[in-house]
Amino acid sequence: MATLLFEIGTEELPAWYVTQGREALAELAAERFAAARLDVGSIDAYATPRRLALLVHDLADASERRIERRRGPAAAVAFDDDGAPSAAAVGFARGQGVAPEALQVEETDRGTYVFAEVATGGTPAQEVLPELLAGLVRDLPAPRKMRWGEVETPFVRPVAWLTARLDDAVVPVEVAGRRAEGGTYGHRVHAPGPVALEAPEAYVEALRGAYVLADPAERRDRTRDAVAAAAEAEGLHPAWTEALLDEVVDLVEWPVAILGRFDARYLALPDVVLEAVMIHHQRFVPLAGTDGALADAFVGVSNTDPVDVDVVRRGYEAVLDGRLYDARFFWDADRANTLAHHAWGLSGIAFQRDLGTIADKVARVGVGVGRLMERVGAPDDVRRTVEAAGPLLRADAATEMVGELPELEGEMGRAYAREEGLGDAVAQALLDGVRPTTPGGTLPEGEAGALLAAADRADTLLGFFALGKRPSGSADPFALRRAAGALARIAAARAWEVPLRDLVAAAAAAYADGPVEVGDEVVDAVTAFVWERVAQLLAAEGADVLAVRAATADGPPVIDAARRAHLLVALEGSEAFAALRATYKRAANLAEGAAEGVAADPARFETPEAERLYAALAPARDGVAALLAEARAQMPAWSLGAGPERAPTPGAGVEAVTALKAPLDAFLDGVLVMVDDPALRANRLALLREVRDVLRALGAIEELGG
Amino acid sequence: MLFQDILLTLDRFWSDRGCVLAPPHDGEVGAGTFYPTTFLRALGPTPWRVAGIAPSRRPTDGRYGDNPYRFQYFSQYQVVLKPSPADVQAVYLDSLAALGIRAEAHDVRFVEDNWESPTLGAWGLGWEVWMDGMEITQFTYFQQVGGQDCAPVSVELTYGLERIAMYLQGVEHAFDIETAPGVRLGDLRRDAEVQHSRYNFEASDPAVQRDLFDTYEAEARRLVADGLVHPGYDFVLKASHAFNLLDARGALSHTERQAYVQRIRRLAETSAAAYLADAAGDGEAA
Repeated sequence: MATLLFEIGTEELPAWYVTQGREALAELAAERFAAARLDVGSIDAYATPRRLALLVHDLADASERRIERRRGPAAAVAFDDDGAPSAAAVGFARGQGVAPEALQVEETDRGTYVFAEVATGGTPAQEVLPELLAGLVRDLPAPRKMRWGEVETPFVRPVAWLTARLDDAVVPVEVAGRRAEGGTYGHRVHAPGPVALEAPEAYVEALRGAYVLADPAERRDRTRDAVAAAAEAEGLHPAWTEALLDEVVDLVEWPVAILGRFDARYLALPDVVLEAVMIHHQRFVPLAGTDGALADAFVGVSNTDPVDVDVVRRGYEAVLDGRLYDARFFWDADRANTLAHHAWGLSGIAFQRDLGTIADKVARVGVGVGRLMERVGAPDDVRRTVEAAGPLLRADAATEMVGELPELEGEMGRAYAREEGLGDAVAQALLDGVRPTTPGGTLPEGEAGALLAAADRADTLLGFFALGKRPSGSADPFALRRAAGALARIAAARAWEVPLRDLVAAAAAAYADGPVEVGDEVVDAVTAFVWERVAQLLAAEGADVLAVRAATADGPPVIDAARRAHLLVALEGSEAFAALRATYKRAANLAEGAAEGVAADPARFETPEAERLYAALAPARDGVAALLAEARAQMPAWSLGAGPERAPTPGAGVEAVTALKAPLDAFLDGVLVMVDDPALRANRLALLREVRDVLRALGAIEELGG
Repeated sequence: MLFQDILLTLDRFWSDRGCVLAPPHDGEVGAGTFYPTTFLRALGPTPWRVAGIAPSRRPTDGRYGDNPYRFQYFSQYQVVLKPSPADVQAVYLDSLAALGIRAEAHDVRFVEDNWESPTLGAWGLGWEVWMDGMEITQFTYFQQVGGQDCAPVSVELTYGLERIAMYLQGVEHAFDIETAPGVRLGDLRRDAEVQHSRYNFEASDPAVQRDLFDTYEAEARRLVADGLVHPGYDFVLKASHAFNLLDARGALSHTERQAYVQRIRRLAETSAAAYLADAAGDGEAA
């Protein structure tokens, strides 16, 4: 057993790749060790902006030995008349590295063949590793790789060195223009020379001495603590976002927190602008006072411990001042005009070829949202807000601030609407109308904005589907999956009791006058596409795929589908329910033959089994209603994908429903349904159809497994 | 350090490392990348090292001289090394040290920046170099230029000279940079900056620029097709500048803008292909 250290030293990796690359490297290595049949104990993975590394513990000294039987030619051609091996057999034996006499004859299903027993494995790790490790560099998955110099092997950024140590020995790996060494390299500025390693296990410690925190968890703690300490010294606290912390940690090897200040007059800018400038442009941590309001201070995390902190602080402050100066300029310039004026600018921004400009789209959304409000039954105040906000939707996209800071789209709509005195409801609707901006992002807070956002996403989906641009495979250049996911999440979170297809169809009304034709088949295709997203979001909540299929089959409102999926998952825990389901399938299959709309006539059953079954129907119907009511009460609308706050616990309704099983069994076993008398047969089928319909309120439960 | 001493220092530094010191291109260009000594020389297999000041014009960036950092006329210092040397980051940091910017006194960072020029059919991966949070250099490994894969790969270093000078001199506006003893950058550039900003945003005639674009485009096509790659490429640059003027004037709708970008891109790609064919025929890339 030995310990292996493998480090890929690089020029600075993109921050977002540091963690992704570390995980990918560990995964790929585990795969390759398994494929090479080299046993490993555990693998620790490390990464900084300048290195991806693996520390492999308890690596086997050699690959696992195994005897493999390999099939050769048919026995008929493997031996000559004297029983001596033929040329074919000798060739096969040579190829397998065994003596011809060692070949064995064996009968198989497909005839009699000769076999060779070949011992494989046992190759020393030292011999396996050079190629295996080179393969890790060549094959490490990354979204985008580059070439450099005259090196043929692409990588995420140029490979600067390789370290490969198996206990005391250097593993001679050669790849990407580099030859592995036994030591590593420290911080670019503080310890630029080689760093010797006594043993692979000394890696993290040795680097710590060379101003590199290779362990991401340690670097994260150190960063957070250092920033907090710098802030507390001024009586402030960091307003971190998780994404900012992730990024900052992967931008440095040796975090040093430096506090700076900016001119307090910039605090007049909206917080979202200050945060966008500090976070997105400078990766500075905004600071807040005890009252939670942003302070005129920030912390930058330096990758060096500078000789004179004031030099770096002054630099940070100067660059932030320049950016805030610009932001202030945009803020003033944009407010010189109304949002309605800015909205004119949208006619100069293309939405999509053949779907017009953003202004065209906003106009369509205005029509679609009107229909949507009818379906949803929006109250008057919501209706008024939508009508005021609708024409201003995305108007901020034409402002200078959003031109410079595109991530503020929606936020600036709200901010400028407030400044303009349009009222909080309209302002909020303008922000909500572009939400969610990411797959798991914040949903609209208000009903008006939710309606606008839903109409907007439906419009996008319908337009692109009508152009035949639906996503295929992994390619989704217009982010239509995201739009569909957003529509599903909004509909669920608002608990709109409108079948999904009706929501989509409402938005389709806006295409009545073009620019593309949106017919029923497009509405159907978009609806099916959104159901796929619903299924995926519910799967992410842990709902079984069959339960999801059962819950969505009849095209209900999204929220109903979601609740039923979780209810069915909970019901599946009940043995009695699973047993009922088996019987139900027989009943449902038979009921396919029943005429629609014909009620069973209890006066004409002619058997006690049918009468008992009929008597059990009403309590079961009440039971199903009780289960659905409970599910509604126990699962208030939630953000789809995140899961309801708690799983439903089906109550007494279960018993009323499962009580159907005994009379149903008795009926199916004791009564011939398909009798010759047409009236009697129709009546019995009608009874089974009623049974089916009662249970179908829970979903297409015949889809469930078991 | 005077502005011209910064130039002299960088010239000396890169000359000592084997670079040809090329004079600036004598026409309007948007960035050093457009220079024939960069764009054309990054193509093909022949090794190449070049350095020098690269005055650039971006009409949309004009602010009438009001903004301390943004100008429609500014200076890049452009270095191209082909093939990219293995130690180029360390050498670059040495060049900063030569200017008095020592890495141990600052927070110098290589922050991901993927560069793409749709008009040049070019893209590369690399970084913005941040000094104490301020971007002072673009550092790019060209992957494609003019639609052609780069092999070997060149690295391009583009220093923002005004920013570096402002920092070194401790001034808050680029016009306050002392270029020669007693002479400030503003003395040389202020009037021109204000007038060009007015021209770019208010006075240029879009109809004229559209006509010029069409003329330059046709001329570029004709010359490149005749094997006159260098004069033809000059007209590509002129067409590109005419487009930039139309853009600054706000004369282009989104789709129209895209169409112009594609037209320039086609010219750039045609020039690149002709240059390579020419180089292959002559057995040398010049």
